[in-house]
Amino acid sequence: MLDSGGAAAAAPAEFPAGLRVLLVDDDPTCLMILDRMLRKCLYHVTTCSRAAAALKILREKKGCFDLVLSDVYMPDMDGFKLLEHIGLEMDLPVIMMSSDDHKDVVMKGVTHGACDYIIKPVRMESLKNIWQHVVRKKRNGSKELENSGSLEDNDRQRGGVDEGDNASSACAGSWKSVKRKKEEVKDDDEDDDDEEALEEHEDPSHSKKPRVVWSVDLHQKFVNAVNQLGVDSKFLLTLLKLVGIHYISEAVPKKILELMSVVGLTRENVASHLQKYRLYLRRVSMPQHQGRLDSHFASGHDASYDPVSLIDGFDVPGLAVVSQIPPQGRAAIHPGPRSNMNVGISASSVNQFGLIASGIQIANASNMVSSSAQQMNNKRMSNPQTPSNNIQLSQFGQTPSAVQPYGSMNLQFGKGMPNFLTSSSQPSSFSLPSGTMSGQMNVSLTMHQAQHLHQFSLSQQRSNINIPHSSGQVLNNNASHSSRLSSALTLQTSSNESSNHILGQLRVSTSITSLPANYIKSPFSTSRRDLYVDGQSSFVNGLSGSSYPSASGVGVSQQTASFQSFSSNHDLKGKFDNVTAFNTISEHQNRGHEWKLQRVNLPYQTGHIFGLEQSNLLSHSSLMSHHNSAATATNRDNNTGATVKDKITSLTNDINVEKRTSVAQHRNVYIDDNSVRLNYGVSPDMSYQDVYLDDMQNELMSVVAKQVTFEYIYDDYLA
Amino acid sequence: MEYSSLHRQLATMKKSFFDQGFLDEQFFQIEELQDDVSPNFVEEVVTLFFKDSLRLMGNIDHALEKFPQDFDRLDSLIHQLKGSASSIGAAKMKNECTVFRDFCDKENQEGCIRSFQKVKKEHACLRQKLENYFQLLRQVGPVAKATRSGN
Repeated sequence: MLDSGGAAAAAPAEFPAGLRVLLVDDDPTCLMILDRMLRKCLYHVTTCSRAAAALKILREKKGCFDLVLSDVYMPDMDGFKLLEHIGLEMDLPVIMMSSDDHKDVVMKGVTHGACDYIIKPVRMESLKNIWQHVVRKKRNGSKELENSGSLEDNDRQRGGVDEGDNASSACAGSWKSVKRKKEEVKDDDEDDDDEEALEEHEDPSHSKKPRVVWSVDLHQKFVNAVNQLGVDSKFLLTLLKLVGIHYISEAVPKKILELMSVVGLTRENVASHLQKYRLYLRRVSMPQHQGRLDSHFASGHDASYDPVSLIDGFDVPGLAVVSQIPPQGRAAIHPGPRSNMNVGISASSVNQFGLIASGIQIANASNMVSSSAQQMNNKRMSNPQTPSNNIQLSQFGQTPSAVQPYGSMNLQFGKGMPNFLTSSSQPSSFSLPSGTMSGQMNVSLTMHQAQHLHQFSLSQQRSNINIPHSSGQVLNNNASHSSRLSSALTLQTSSNESSNHILGQLRVSTSITSLPANYIKSPFSTSRRDLYVDGQSSFVNGLSGSSYPSASGVGVSQQTASFQSFSSNHDLKGKFDNVTAFNTISEHQNRGHEWKLQRVNLPYQTGHIFGLEQSNLLSHSSLMSHHNSAATATNRDNNTGATVKDKITSLTNDINVEKRTSVAQHRNVYIDDNSVRLNYGVSPDMSYQDVYLDDMQNELMSVVAKQVTFEYIYDDYLA
Repeated sequence: MEYSSLHRQLATMKKSFFDQGFLDEQFFQIEELQDDVSPNFVEEVVTLFFKDSLRLMGNIDHALEKFPQDFDRLDSLIHQLKGSASSIGAAKMKNECTVFRDFCDKENQEGCIRSFQKVKKEHACLRQKLENYFQLLRQVGPVAKATRSGN
């Protein structure tokens, strides 16, 4: 080419001309040739014959290069190492070169992050297009954020569709609608975060696998299996995740399938279902998570949490989480001052995450409550079957002590902890064993983490639910906030809660004797706390027909009561004002004193959360407002009402207060029959639960996000 | 005439290089890099190659002598030489390097030594040819330009 002169003149930095390339090759011949070639492409070239020198240059002149072209075999440093360094430090696109064309070497390049691998001898043509890597990298970098959103949308849509396909009749609609609502409600940003991980893991299986109708029964089996396997309660997982509890789920599709022993059900079906469930849980537990919920999800970590707190008192048999929480962990859980709603979910009963989730949601307070309430109302648990669908937070008589430490409401998830099936099908009852309602119910329920349940602390201190990061999150004894939640959460899971469905209903059974009536007093008017008394059904029953007064303001006191109503019946429709829910509960309230529900009242706000079942969370916002009013009653800054978070916070605080009070009074374990169950109306349609959870999640997530590692979830899933 | 004769000679010479496999099309790539900005690029590169390859070959000799069993080292060294040779299109040399490498893989010391001798031989041979070529080119070059410019 003898037209270099012309060429040179013709390229005043017109891309890709002017691309700044750093060329690293120890062979002088190659270096010279490549240099010439690159210049012919009108790139700006800087040459180096040593990797160390290259790094030095890159470090000194950060931002001065667009692309690095490096040989693989170099005397002073392996090209792959250089590649790693560059990737870590400068994140520039790196193209590897070598005359070695062995697949394994090329693969190594790929796995180390090289944008391209060029086989020597290099031809001009190969270099002409290297600029594409620069462009691509830049685009991909910014796209990640977008992608999640889009993915999420897809997922949601898909989810909705899938749900419809797979969900039981009872749930399908609700779930779907919840999902939809959730979509509406959620912010895009949040979506990104939440969905991302899930998206990635979302197995398109549900698109390809044959549709299986997940009836309530089937779902219940599923949930049972999951629980048995140690809590693969998605809800709980989500919750836990939310709080950053790392839970390692044992519930893998294969095992679940085995346990379920349903003829004709394939592993795939289960896997898909599980996935949805996880997705749901994740959604719920991961609220605004920044961007990487999925990582949380996956990473599950945060051992710091000490899930213990949650577990205290939980007697969930299958709650693996519980077991995982080291005793000391529990203690550690109190995150302390955050006004997080920490739900001390007794690990033991964490099985049903639903509860926990609900707890968290409750914690999330206002938002959740309202939404949940609404959801509950709306969604109504389609299946009255309450038990299963209800998330009952019942206290198992378990270790009250466990709860105590927290001072927060320990959600004890009993076996009945429903699995949150966020998606579909069967509503699982989520029962949070209400161990003792500690002062503050910190429900840090990451729905997803439900399994862990350990620590749910929904700290909502501030507008967001701060999920106490500390391991102690869950049990946040920060009285202030979680109290409300606690109360709500304290729903004890009736031990017998068989309902493992996470119905999303949080049934708050009034049977929680442990909670002194006054416990609930505080923000919630203590009046009726009798959330339900007895078993799930009662709650449900109670709720069901109850008309919840939408006294928003009233809420507080009533909340508790209404909260319970959620159970199966979630009649909380529409906006589930806390009040409404509670009101209902009140109605059913059997014993006032048992109102431990009073605490539950607190939850009213939480109740809203629970109200999930009924209403789509979507409505939460509206609920929130109600909630706020209710919450305001309680105290705090509900006034903002504007923000769900605030509401939640306030709610949480309320709950916490309540909890504290109640705990102080009785920190005992709830008796099952007395347990207040929060029926997390997740049931039939998890959708609202989703929504609800989402809200709550958001709150929680904010706190927990970082800690949650959901890797396990996926790993399990994939197992 | 002279020009054309010289040119013909050059052309024939180059063609023989390719025909006999001393050079491959990578050499064309090198030639294409030559332009007004780098009028002697090809010669410069080739010269650089031969100089550097001598260094590399010295390393291999040394390794064969001192660490005859260190096949990894030998492999690494021959890899460098091979890469260098291929970058200018020194085909035969490159092939011999490959043979050497195979012996290294098989840990055949004897084979390594023998093949390396061949590598060195090819190296010398190519070097000679290209030196002649460039010599001729230098003669033709200016003339060619002058000719092209319309002389």
